[in-house]
Amino acid sequence: MYLLAPTALRVAPDDFAARVRARFASELRRAGRFAQLCLLGAQACLDAAGGDGPLAVLWASEFGALHATRAALDEDLARGEAAMPFTFIATQPHLAGALLAQRSHPVTRTACLYLPADAWPSLPRLAQRWLAECDRVLVGCVEESGSGGVAHRSDWCLFRKKPAAGAFRCERSPAAENAAGATAEDWIPRVAAWRRAAPLLLRGGEDAWSFASDG
Amino acid sequence: MSSAFVRATALASALGPDLDSAVERLAGAPVAPARNTKTGGAWPYFAIPTSGKDWKERAEAIARSVAEDLRRVAAIAPARWAALPCIVGSSSFSVGAWDEGGWEALEPPFEFAARLARGFGVHGPVTGVSTTCTSGLSALDIALGLVAGGEFRDALVLGAEFCNRLTVAGFAGLELLSATAARPCDRERDGLVLGEALAAVLVSAAPSPWRIAALAAGMDAASVTGPAADGAVIASAMRAAMAGARWKSTAVDLIKLQSGGGPLADSAEANAVRELFAPVPRAVSLKGALGHTLGASGPAELALLLASLARGRVPATWGFAERDGELGLAPSGGDAEGVRRVLFNLSGFGGSVMSLALERTR
Repeated sequence: MYLLAPTALRVAPDDFAARVRARFASELRRAGRFAQLCLLGAQACLDAAGGDGPLAVLWASEFGALHATRAALDEDLARGEAAMPFTFIATQPHLAGALLAQRSHPVTRTACLYLPADAWPSLPRLAQRWLAECDRVLVGCVEESGSGGVAHRSDWCLFRKKPAAGAFRCERSPAAENAAGATAEDWIPRVAAWRRAAPLLLRGGEDAWSFASDG
Repeated sequence: MSSAFVRATALASALGPDLDSAVERLAGAPVAPARNTKTGGAWPYFAIPTSGKDWKERAEAIARSVAEDLRRVAAIAPARWAALPCIVGSSSFSVGAWDEGGWEALEPPFEFAARLARGFGVHGPVTGVSTTCTSGLSALDIALGLVAGGEFRDALVLGAEFCNRLTVAGFAGLELLSATAARPCDRERDGLVLGEALAAVLVSAAPSPWRIAALAAGMDAASVTGPAADGAVIASAMRAAMAGARWKSTAVDLIKLQSGGGPLADSAEANAVRELFAPVPRAVSLKGALGHTLGASGPAELALLLASLARGRVPATWGFAERDGELGLAPSGGDAEGVRRVLFNLSGFGGSVMSLALERTR
């Protein structure tokens, strides 16, 4: 399979609201912050990749919408009142897929995975399987900043069956011992920054993947 | 066509702490859910009849009990069991721990998934997955990939949804709950009743009585909280599942409906069913007996349905009394003789729609 438009997005928490407004105007004002973060990165990747057609969307996070959940619990239940619908909905990270679909992208299926940092190879593995039913799979690793100073992270890339200009050929590698260790935080940025002719070999857990420039 | 099978199942639900007691109770007279003070007291709720010192200990006790049941049925060598991968589907994970324990008790979703896996005594790779109410079937889909790809001979799928105030408050805020009872497909249906469950499904490459013939997914983005009224995406998912299984629509003997008693969602699914089937095959809904167990509903309803069929019965649809002419669906239980192909529907928030094709092999 082929990987297109690896897009690493880092947003300082103080700049986040302005970035969301600049990209989506008021369209996402009722979405939770995690869903907004997903869409900010996913849309940047789709803009870079171009093309159209049906899309499956798969993203992973270790903590998910934990902050939205805490906010909902704080704001509503702690006061003894029922959670507001939009507050409750913000606790469901999977809803980012529906919001992306509502932005006129024909989305065939979505899933939000919770994975530890070194289990990122589950994403290309599952994307490869989904490509049997869909021409394009948008894959992301998304994490909200837990504390001040640390940037929000929303990294995405697009997998497709067919080659394309600027795409990386991407395949599972049996040579895990020769691969460099990578995490959910850096595998997409490392692919994005790779400029050499030799394949980039990255490992997460015992699973390795190679990313080779396709000419 | 996949070559994966349902090797074993186990379930803790409002019908009982284990699958045998649940099937036995389901064969009897319907039991109304009680109002649950832990979820605010205003709404009926299908709770697992297991107590515990606190939320987390109770969840762990339920997990240990379900794990014991599954191990007994699965009969897998200890070393193989310990190496199983575990995929946990849930929409709320450990949110309920906050109700009693505050921030310190609220774990990130992956940590809770890993804790459940450890409770089952498995130490292979753990994945958490959330696609709201279809989370358990999404977990099954990942397991199918691991088994069909030859990476693992067996994979453990858990559907986990434990009692918590946030979920009940959220559904109440969206005005999706019934104040009295879940009445799937019934003329008087007026909303969902939520419930909790922990269900385990062991997916295996080893032949077993039920083969997973296909699993199809779809996305209905009409609204983040409900399907489009025409049910087109639901129909498309069912069609894809039948195509994946290489069935004609006339081959389907039974449809396990998503239907939970929501006026609009039930109507959308009925439109989809009527579009594909004439006449409509026999149908059943289990949410009147289990409640809507959200992310656990796939594995929970799968376990309960297959266990009932193994005892020769299509379960009755609790809460269904009077046919709604506009729906055109009339779920019916009874003898399971001749039920060999089952279409199993789920859908949820965020537009996630799934349809599973199950085929009896012997």
